[in-house]
Amino acid sequence: MSPRLRVLLLGLAALVLAPCALAVIAAMPEFGTAIAPYGARINAVAPAERNIANMVTAINFDLRGLDTLGEEFMLLAAVTGTVVLLRGRRGERDGDRAARLPGRAVVPRSEAVILACRIAGPLTALFGLYVTVHASLTPGGGFQGGAVLASACVLIYLGEGYAGWRRGVRSAVLDAIEGGGALLVVLCGLGPMLVGAAFMQNVLPFGTFGALLSGGLVLVANLGVAAAVTAGFSQLVLEFLEETRAPRPDGADGGDDA
Amino acid sequence: MSVVLPLLFLLSAASGTLVVLVREPRRQVFALSANGLVLALLFTGLQAPDVALSEIAVGTVAVPLIVLVALGAVRTDRPGQDAGSGENV
Amino acid sequence: MSLLPYATAAWLLGIGLYGIVTSRNYIHLIGCLAVCQSATYVLLLGIGYRRDAIAPIFYDHPPGTPAVDPVMQALVLTDIVVGATLTALLLVLALQVFKRRGTLDPQKLKPMHPPSNAGTRDAGPREAGFAGEARPEPQP
Repeated sequence: MSPRLRVLLLGLAALVLAPCALAVIAAMPEFGTAIAPYGARINAVAPAERNIANMVTAINFDLRGLDTLGEEFMLLAAVTGTVVLLRGRRGERDGDRAARLPGRAVVPRSEAVILACRIAGPLTALFGLYVTVHASLTPGGGFQGGAVLASACVLIYLGEGYAGWRRGVRSAVLDAIEGGGALLVVLCGLGPMLVGAAFMQNVLPFGTFGALLSGGLVLVANLGVAAAVTAGFSQLVLEFLEETRAPRPDGADGGDDA
Repeated sequence: MSVVLPLLFLLSAASGTLVVLVREPRRQVFALSANGLVLALLFTGLQAPDVALSEIAVGTVAVPLIVLVALGAVRTDRPGQDAGSGENV
Repeated sequence: MSLLPYATAAWLLGIGLYGIVTSRNYIHLIGCLAVCQSATYVLLLGIGYRRDAIAPIFYDHPPGTPAVDPVMQALVLTDIVVGATLTALLLVLALQVFKRRGTLDPQKLKPMHPPSNAGTRDAGPREAGFAGEARPEPQP
């Protein structure tokens, strides 16, 4: 299909669909007037029912925890697919040099950058932990905290360079953390069944409203998601960076290990 | 408030358009990152701090970073190395 | 004002689709897909918004204060994180295409042919077989 024909088809589709879209937009409820009854009920009931201040966390890890379990495994599947596709071609061996483009000067990392990364890295990690553990109180939770923790992990690469990053961040450890996080979420579902409750029913004590340890099982599932997201994103960056690695001088790393 | 929200909506539409219209992938990365930032501001305006935090961490940092590294992998790709990898992968 | 959020979502989806259709580079195309995806965020959060309401976090405000819809926020939150890993998966596929075919341009890709020794079935113009040479030159 030629590019022109394709744009023409898109224009035709847009011409047909635009009136429909306009009709739908005109029939939408007035912006900012009312919210769906489900959300309104949760806002009214859940704080007292679960002693959680953050409704988004309550929904993600308790009221609709099953959905999060599904999301968790989508994440796991996407990361696994990425790793398998990249490693299938490259093999499991690793090098310790980043690739160099011929004819391009290599600017050494300045001390200011190293210092900035060494200061910002731990601070970012601390902030990520803070965001994670305060899931039931303030904006945050396993998904956001995990992403922040993974960016702290990437700061190691920026500050220490490729070799230091390779030594510090082990792929096998990340695999274990990610799988363990997903397992923890599954156990949060299966655990209550051991004591005769329903799947993912919140059986732990809820604590007091507004305390750090409030919400019962939510905290455990939250930690599991945080671990899986942290390791998943770090693993993605690690594997992509491996793609830019220099070949071994002895030619020991051909691309066909699959 | 009545001015800020419409402005943020328009800004996010504009930054999304920019991502599409910047055709060079290396430049598009920066448009993508800016788009993430604008969306995070919009989400804050819509009273969704959780989502804004997530968008800042993922849309502004993680995704552009992965795209940048992928571009780096394309650039440093070594044609000679690949000679035999076609048939048995 | 009342239509602006939905119009923004529709516009983002439309412009993203336009970018996908006209893109000449898979990595650019994946960026356009991210724009399409952001249309869903804007739409969902726009539906869940309520004027003069607080965020659905009752730490500083007593429970019972009017708040925006937390269900939409939970949906968008997980969507963003999981969508990013899927973006990574798509980028890997683009990388694979580049390694096999030496191009990132969707226009220059031909349908996959079996390796050259088995390919006498179709009479159409074909490449010499990507197993045979490192970089088959795409035919115009």
